[in-house]
Amino acid sequence: MSAQATGPARGRKLITGVIGADTHIVGSRILSMALEEAGFEIVALGAITPAEDFVKAAIETAADGIMVSSLYGQGELDCRGFRDLFIEAGLEDMLIYVGGNLVVGKQDWTDVERRFLEMGFDRAFPPNTRADQVIEVLNADFAVRSAGRRIAE
Amino acid sequence: MSDAAPAETTRLPFSAARIPDDVFAAMRRENLARWPTGAEVDLDEAVDFHKSLPAHKNLSAVMRKADAEGRCLTQPRGGFGTLELQLELMRALDRDGLADIVPTTTDSYTRNEQWERAEAGIAESEKAGRSMLNGFPLVFYGPRTARRLIEAVDKPAIVLSGTSMPRLTGEVGFAAGFSGYLGSGLAYTTSYTKTLSIEDGIRNYQYLDRLTALYRERGVELHRRQPGFLTGTNIPPCIAIVTAIVDALLAAGQGVRNYGLELAQTLHLVQDAAAIRACRELVQEYLTKAGYADAFTPVTSLHWMGAWPYDDAQAAALVAYGGTLAAVGGAISVTTKSTHEAYGIPTPEANAEALRTTRMAIYLARRIRIDDMPEFRREKELIGREVRPIVDRVLEMGDGDVAVGTIRACEAGVLDIPWSPNRQMKSRVLPARDADGYLRILQPGDMPFPKDVLEYHEERLRERAARDGVAFGRELAVSSVYEMSETLEKLIPAG
Repeated sequence: MSAQATGPARGRKLITGVIGADTHIVGSRILSMALEEAGFEIVALGAITPAEDFVKAAIETAADGIMVSSLYGQGELDCRGFRDLFIEAGLEDMLIYVGGNLVVGKQDWTDVERRFLEMGFDRAFPPNTRADQVIEVLNADFAVRSAGRRIAE
Repeated sequence: MSDAAPAETTRLPFSAARIPDDVFAAMRRENLARWPTGAEVDLDEAVDFHKSLPAHKNLSAVMRKADAEGRCLTQPRGGFGTLELQLELMRALDRDGLADIVPTTTDSYTRNEQWERAEAGIAESEKAGRSMLNGFPLVFYGPRTARRLIEAVDKPAIVLSGTSMPRLTGEVGFAAGFSGYLGSGLAYTTSYTKTLSIEDGIRNYQYLDRLTALYRERGVELHRRQPGFLTGTNIPPCIAIVTAIVDALLAAGQGVRNYGLELAQTLHLVQDAAAIRACRELVQEYLTKAGYADAFTPVTSLHWMGAWPYDDAQAAALVAYGGTLAAVGGAISVTTKSTHEAYGIPTPEANAEALRTTRMAIYLARRIRIDDMPEFRREKELIGREVRPIVDRVLEMGDGDVAVGTIRACEAGVLDIPWSPNRQMKSRVLPARDADGYLRILQPGDMPFPKDVLEYHEERLRERAARDGVAFGRELAVSSVYEMSETLEKLIPAG
């Protein structure tokens, strides 16, 4: 059976959406469906979502985490300054994940991941990640966050 | 971001009727004033330039010739963020890929008319030494500069711009010398936009189709093309063909007579061949009924549009098989992907290699046809029984006007698209793959498919669910989304 939210992760509110001018909705929608079934509360912003809208939604709904999708290659441009927007809004501790085909073309994942972590994302997920893997990581991260740490080892 | 819809002064009551000459002239003036390069568009000069091109650089003529000769042409996708990179790419696709049709894909900022952001992306690309944009910023460069792309290759060139806002990109592309343009009001608005209304998307493409007809009135035939692949994720042929008929009727209404139809491969040999044949026949049937019997509507088959495998070898099989599916199905052209697809945009080398792989598969397909197979006949007949009730209802709902009927049908869910990002769509229809590999309708939403047709789909899908030990429901649709990207170990477990 599919992974479930456990411990402090249960009932957490997550914002999902596809950033920038990107219309690839399927992955984000499947993730939203799976997270909801796993016991998270989901606010789905859908395709073509400006970075600012994630922040707005986070404030309006008092969200616990942000799940950014990008599949069309321009994620590297769209995601610049994403963390700063949250810092400016006073949400510097927000848990922020990004996943998909994040750059133009076939590039070494370790390098891509490093670039996104440097941009301030807590985690970056490679292409072909399944919802179950994300749920396990969310469980681990929310568990250590209630103990005051940022993300799990 | 500029206005998605034309200003009120030129906003006609919404209908499928041809835009009158004087109104269209005013619409063009408004449109061309939206970005500085619009001033470079000179219709007389563009018409002269198109007339100066040899027939083998005009996509309309090339598609007609391929149809007459029973050939299947190859066309890749491809766009990079600067003129130099784009020139290099188009030359590589022509020279190393032997592409019959050469593309220019625009970047996503251009597609969304965020031209100033595209401009910043060019600067970033130049600074990084690699393309930071996922396509060519055609409007920013403008028709004079973009013409260098046309002059660089001895093949016809097509604009690929996944957008519902093609008005300025279309003007610039045609004026530069591109003789093809992919996109349509219903298909792209339901598949590439979130908040744009279907009405405004259709209006925008009525502009482009009217522009195409304006060139035709001046003696230049350009090729327009409908992207029936929609959201690219497990689109059953019947849904693609319904949108092809609607968009073809809308284009014909503006005066377009060379209109290609794109179908995404289902990856089932029989279903794809039946879909290619049924698509052309059904579109012709409805165009003829509407008085447009003189429209040329060749079908293009598209390599798998869903999630690709990460293993190069598995991806190579999809590339080669895609050539076979297109050629055996009798498509006039095939649009290719590459072994890099799972990772995003391919290098020019990978792109060219996939073109050659596809070309060899087309050669090997010879003149093999499967039209006499009982399964082919069954599927083709089934597609007809799925498509006609939906299209007839759409036309009925518009009281004779296909544009009006389309909006009403979308609102009612009579016309629906799986996985649509557009908020106006119900997107309740859900496809899945059956036990034999055919794409079927798992949940019809509010689409009025005949009862016996739906029973057949359900029976086939229940067999799949039972075989895989999956509940009959949404999980079947989700596993069908990922199926082609799974590893070989999972697809064919060791005996």
